[in-house]
Amino acid sequence: MVQLRSRADLAIVVVCVGLYIGSAAQVRFPLGGTALSFAVTTISSPALAIGNAIGRTWQVFWSGQRNLRSTLGELRRLRLESAELHRANQLLSAEVTALRQGSRLLAAYPSLADQAVLARVIARDLPRTQTLRLDRGSRDGIHVDGPVLAEGGLVGRVDRVLEHSCRVQLLTHPAAAAAAAVEGVQQEALLVGGDQPHLTGLSPYTQVPLEASVLSTGSEGIYPPGLLFGTTLEARNDGLFTIVPVRLAANAAEVTAVLVLAPAARGAP
Amino acid sequence: MRLVAAFLAALLLQLGLTASHLWWVFAACQPLLLVVVATARRLNPVGVAWCGLAAGLASDAFAERIIGPGGIAGAVAGFAVALVVRRFEMEGPLYWIVGSLLVSACSELTWMLVLATLGVRPDHAFSGVLATVAMTGATGLVAAAGERALRAWRSPARHRRRVLRRL
Repeated sequence: MVQLRSRADLAIVVVCVGLYIGSAAQVRFPLGGTALSFAVTTISSPALAIGNAIGRTWQVFWSGQRNLRSTLGELRRLRLESAELHRANQLLSAEVTALRQGSRLLAAYPSLADQAVLARVIARDLPRTQTLRLDRGSRDGIHVDGPVLAEGGLVGRVDRVLEHSCRVQLLTHPAAAAAAAVEGVQQEALLVGGDQPHLTGLSPYTQVPLEASVLSTGSEGIYPPGLLFGTTLEARNDGLFTIVPVRLAANAAEVTAVLVLAPAARGAP
Repeated sequence: MRLVAAFLAALLLQLGLTASHLWWVFAACQPLLLVVVATARRLNPVGVAWCGLAAGLASDAFAERIIGPGGIAGAVAGFAVALVVRRFEMEGPLYWIVGSLLVSACSELTWMLVLATLGVRPDHAFSGVLATVAMTGATGLVAAAGERALRAWRSPARHRRRVLRRL
């Protein structure tokens, strides 16, 4: 034994042989529920508890990360969806507004409804060219010089027609002119466009009531008679004529649906 | 004393890695064998074999297996790794990586062989051996990185740089 202690290399061989024999014995007579098992369980439990705590913390962290990612993804998706819905809602609102306006327009002029084309305003250039662009064209029976009616009254005439669209020259266009009559005034006047449309051609000192309706007479061959242009403002004398500024009944800035009358189908409303 | 502390820490780590809330692959890791690798630089092959024997016996005891085959396998693996480290004068990351791979492979193969001679069916097959070798090798890699980081932290060059920065 003393020699074995001094020879560590031999000692380990002996120990290994002993272990082998011991293993063989354990194979034949298995140990179970011994104090060793209890000791192992007792010693390993704190290490396992720490390991489980670390594992749980990591799982919480990882699931949190994953949740955060999915939440952010969901938020991004919902934002896109919300923007899409907002856009669709705006389009639908515009559609509903146009439909309502068109419906009111048709109700306001029942006698013209059969001969007119309901159109929607797709573009407007009020500051520069004083025009509107409609979504109907020659394909829909629109012709040049067709009068254009909004819910409030006349807005102008068609001055250019394409296959699928047309352009409307507004009454505020500097070149616009129409024969008109003021309610309660016998004389016929000429409604001239511009920043402030006005009636001219009335003899001097003609008494023109304030807020009187200005209606079309049809003498110029474009607008059907009896349609409303607007109302009068305070008249003034300018040289040989009485000038009457007119407040147009239809606000071109707010018009979304109009009726385009066929030039051949002009008739009294 | 440091060896005993490292041994106990590795044992606790090995036990802790089998926790159910951790990734199951971690259970294949054998930090105790890294202690054997660590002793290969300081002890002679027989000393390393003794250390391996202790590590193997501890593994057997705490895995509640037949106590003995693991000890024999650890002794053989420790002896082999000590011989290889001495023969090829391994240092640095290579020492840790080759040492951990070699010690785990030797230990597993010897363990399988001993069990085969005893006529006992091993509790894991080739995939388990592969997992043990891979995970112990990965731990060796981590140990190599840690050692390098520790050396860099304790290096005189870093100390000089810090002193110069304070001036």
